[in-house]
Amino acid sequence: MFANFLSTICGSLLSVCVTALAAFAVTLIFRTSTTTNFAQGSISAFGCYVVAELLNKHGIPVWIGVFVGVAVGVLIGLFIDLVIFRNGRSVNAVGKQIITMGIVSLFFGGIPLVFGTPERIPFEPFYNFVKARTDANVTLQAFGGRISITKHALICLAITIVVLSVLFVLLKYSKWGLGVRATASNEFTAELMGIDTRVITAASWSIAGALGVLAAVMYAGGGTTISPSYMTTIQVNAFLAGILGGFSTFYGPVIGAVLIPVAASCVGFLANFGLYNISRWQMVIVYVLMLIVILIKPAGLFGKRTLKKV
Amino acid sequence: MDIKQAYLDAAFPREGPKKRRGPSLAARAARQPNLQVVVICAILALMQILAMNGMVFSSPFITALGSTLIYSIVSIGFCLLLGYSGLASLGTAGFIGLGAYSAYYVVEGLGAPYILALLVTLAVSIVIGVSVGFISLRIEGIYLAIMTLGLAEIIRNLLMAIKPTIKIDLNSVRLFGVGVNDKAVFLLIVLTFAVLMVLTGNLIRSPVGRSMLAMKNSTSAAQAMGVSLMKYRLLAFVITTIYASIGGLLYMMYIRNVTTATSTLLTLTTSLNILGAVIIGGSKSLWGTTVGAFIIYGLQSMFLSKLEFFKNNPAFITMVTGLLIILVVMFYPGGIAQMVSNLRLWLRRRRYERRLRDYV
Repeated sequence: MFANFLSTICGSLLSVCVTALAAFAVTLIFRTSTTTNFAQGSISAFGCYVVAELLNKHGIPVWIGVFVGVAVGVLIGLFIDLVIFRNGRSVNAVGKQIITMGIVSLFFGGIPLVFGTPERIPFEPFYNFVKARTDANVTLQAFGGRISITKHALICLAITIVVLSVLFVLLKYSKWGLGVRATASNEFTAELMGIDTRVITAASWSIAGALGVLAAVMYAGGGTTISPSYMTTIQVNAFLAGILGGFSTFYGPVIGAVLIPVAASCVGFLANFGLYNISRWQMVIVYVLMLIVILIKPAGLFGKRTLKKV
Repeated sequence: MDIKQAYLDAAFPREGPKKRRGPSLAARAARQPNLQVVVICAILALMQILAMNGMVFSSPFITALGSTLIYSIVSIGFCLLLGYSGLASLGTAGFIGLGAYSAYYVVEGLGAPYILALLVTLAVSIVIGVSVGFISLRIEGIYLAIMTLGLAEIIRNLLMAIKPTIKIDLNSVRLFGVGVNDKAVFLLIVLTFAVLMVLTGNLIRSPVGRSMLAMKNSTSAAQAMGVSLMKYRLLAFVITTIYASIGGLLYMMYIRNVTTATSTLLTLTTSLNILGAVIIGGSKSLWGTTVGAFIIYGLQSMFLSKLEFFKNNPAFITMVTGLLIILVVMFYPGGIAQMVSNLRLWLRRRRYERRLRDYV
């Protein structure tokens, strides 16, 4: 029984990885540009389309394709920061959100324009590539049962852990990280202290773009088709993970991103106890639980409560 | 002659031998906000009547106009929340869904008249609005926005689990005791829009509206002046929820089917579009908000889709809308309302300059 349970949890490994990357990207932008980036999902989808195009039509090796896709993500992030947000510094927080929503429209219109009208395109080469190398699941004998994990999920987990650890080390020890943390705590003061906040925000946007594309490719590798809005659920979960963990730290949202899919599969596991219809109500239950947690701790699980001055 | 006095006289003419009269009756009437609403809604109703007789307006145009008006209704409710109470919410889509589903269950499931559906919708939205209001007392700012997004996701998943596709047969709908067709529903939408517009306008100019504005500008100062935060936050959320669910109710009557899994009606997109309409229009102006809703929803379905170029490349429409949103927010943070007031100022300045030139 316990092995079954672990298997179910491992089933959510892929969404854990993808949501964690997306949540980190969202937090980075939230802290440096004081906006929730609703375009995160569509930027990632666009990058994934580029990868799919390269692999499907031009037969480029997968690793190069993914690298190009991530580079495209970096460029899009840079472009958004340099062209739009640098010129719109006086826009207030809600206005910035609306701008990111406009960017979503640009991408939703742009994707069919660039990649043709059948909006759901196959993502088979990558899928096959993953499948060819990971045809067998990894199976462990433990706790009196078999725990099976797809190799795809394991590879994604490894990539996510490496990428996130590098980013956290950079945040803690590099000069860029110090700049990010200073900008996050107060942009104006950071500028006075001689930090070039423009470089910091530009770097944050490009990292967010790269992480988004990486997450999108990883997520698409688990299925077969992609569409402009296929990252929306992940993005919504990333936002919710952000407030669950608390936006005031960088690790909080990542932990939140681990908790939400795991909680979802835990609820789904209840189906084994006779609640057969529970998978329909899975997300409702998880979101309600999350809502309750946030009501108890309004600043998030790991957030610090900021005192308001009059 | 004192040149300074001369300039002053030119710019602000005093009572001379030619006695200046006040604004004419027509000008004064045009400034009556409630009369404006009535006139514009009469024009909208006239458009439908013309289209019914096959004149001037095509029927797809009217359909697009109707659904845009529904979104305008939702937007003016949201305007009260964002522009006057300073609370951001991303839960609008969920509230629209509540309205749509309660309309479906009351009208189609029970076969009850429209008015009962309206009452049930009001009751449901008051309950939801009050609970969101209580949440807003504990959580603020962007956290509140994402929290309401979570709530909308709960509602969407819940409705999807209950029934994925809902459909209303208009023949079974009885409106004030008579059967209706979609033309009558259009008139109903216009009527609802007019009533809500007048009510909202009056609410904004009442002590309630002023208290909300005080709360937006500074919660602490408002509390110090004796404005109860709890009362007005709950009220703001209840009103927004009611408007959104009335929008959902009308949507259900007008478009008549929703597939929750595939339609974007209940997703984040709708909430963001409504937010965008309010920001683009100018968050403190009701007419501006209406224009904003027309830009986001109407421009696409009513005008751009008629042009040959956009008919061939529908993807460009989405891009144009997005670009427009970005440009307006970047260069006119106050939205269309600010644009109009700037224009008005410019015209007035030009008038004074001309008068000055004539004098000198």
